[in-house]
Amino acid sequence: MKEDLSGYWNEDGRAGVRAHVVALPLSSFCNEAVERICDSIAGVIPLTHAFGRNEFGLNKQRLDSSLLKTPLNPNVHSVLVVGYEPKSTNEYLESFRRLSKKRIESVVLSEAGTLETIRQGARKVLELAVSCSERKREPINFGDLTFGLKCGGSDTTSGIASNPAVGQATDYIIDKGGTAIFSETTEIIGAEHILAKRAANKAVAKKIYAVAKSNEELAMSHGVDLVGTNPVPDNIKGGITTIEEKSLGAILKSGSAKVSDVLDYEQSPPARGLYFMDSPSAAQAVLTALVAAGCQVLLFSTGTGNPVGTSVSPVVKITANPMTVAKMSEHIDVDISAMLNGRMKLTEASRNIISATISIINGRVTKAEALKHREFAPLPAGL
Amino acid sequence: MILDEADNVGLALEELKKGDIIRSEISNIVIREPIEFGHKFAIKKIKKREKIIKHGEIIGEATHDILVGEHVHVHNVRSLRATVKNKGNVH
Repeated sequence: MKEDLSGYWNEDGRAGVRAHVVALPLSSFCNEAVERICDSIAGVIPLTHAFGRNEFGLNKQRLDSSLLKTPLNPNVHSVLVVGYEPKSTNEYLESFRRLSKKRIESVVLSEAGTLETIRQGARKVLELAVSCSERKREPINFGDLTFGLKCGGSDTTSGIASNPAVGQATDYIIDKGGTAIFSETTEIIGAEHILAKRAANKAVAKKIYAVAKSNEELAMSHGVDLVGTNPVPDNIKGGITTIEEKSLGAILKSGSAKVSDVLDYEQSPPARGLYFMDSPSAAQAVLTALVAAGCQVLLFSTGTGNPVGTSVSPVVKITANPMTVAKMSEHIDVDISAMLNGRMKLTEASRNIISATISIINGRVTKAEALKHREFAPLPAGL
Repeated sequence: MILDEADNVGLALEELKKGDIIRSEISNIVIREPIEFGHKFAIKKIKKREKIIKHGEIIGEATHDILVGEHVHVHNVRSLRATVKNKGNVH
């Protein structure tokens, strides 16, 4: 297999597999201005969202974390921030500059109104886009990359084919010195005992049981029966009956490596290896959290199909369900459905995943990128 | 398809019709009702409250007696985790 990887080296010594300029509204009031700016200047990605006013407690912590850490992802070259008022905008800029030397520009909407904000913002971001276009690809290694692992639209084929194949690809990445994060706390319920056996030490095993328990208690404190919430109706249509069954299939995507630690929501891994991140389970929320944690590439196995993408990191969509390949081909990057009738073995499937992933790292666009699926979903605390 | 020898359910890797016969090393299973692609059917007789085993692991328990060849899904299986009715079973 050809394994030369290329990417863009940032000043902080971290490598991106993409070089994006992003425009970030600090409040949903600024979404219109951000969208008009992105319409005006080619190649600028809008990070619009529904929040940024009056949040408190855990919701505010999570929102602040997503807004600060997403532009810190190594796939981001530079940032335009559109704030609503000066105080919170300045606080944001100070926090950002404490953590990064990336170029960041800002406009404050309450000082100028939407039209003037668009004019000023477009001028500033134009300079960033020109400077970004001069970046060149250089060699990188698996050790420079963090991969996010996610399964979505799961069905029976996920547990018996695509998740095991992604799991074997994950083992390959970890062997090559790379880092991977899997997540979705609800989807380890019923499979904690298997993950705990793979924990690096007793403390990590304890944390695995603890996050699953607190997630289960959160569901019950809302009087929620997980059936219908997770598994969702398309999981059930696809043959998945209970959360335990879904979890036992879901954890297979993490392969067989030791689980080094349990990370908090959007926490970046402190070293190389495999990590579990405590997070909600909806695809757009998990991917947002994985991007904020620094994942440059996401491997996404799906059964019934799922169109989701992210703001700045490519999502490699993998399925083993032949009906999904037929119905949703514009969302599938790697078709391993031949596994189901035995014409493709597990090793061949995982090799196909790795080879497509290498091409995508090197610049091939994913289906989600081509379709401009750029879900950015900082979510309130939940399941 | 049977994933583990401890399992009491099999997986339909194609749509199965009533009367289809699945041959396994141990016995032949007569399918009693249509089973959609990816859905489960009983390969052993399962009593009410007996655990459903797939991947060699517990995925829930039967809410009714289930005969060999019957569809096994949300109508006759419940989760043992995070279900409000089952608070007593959570550990």
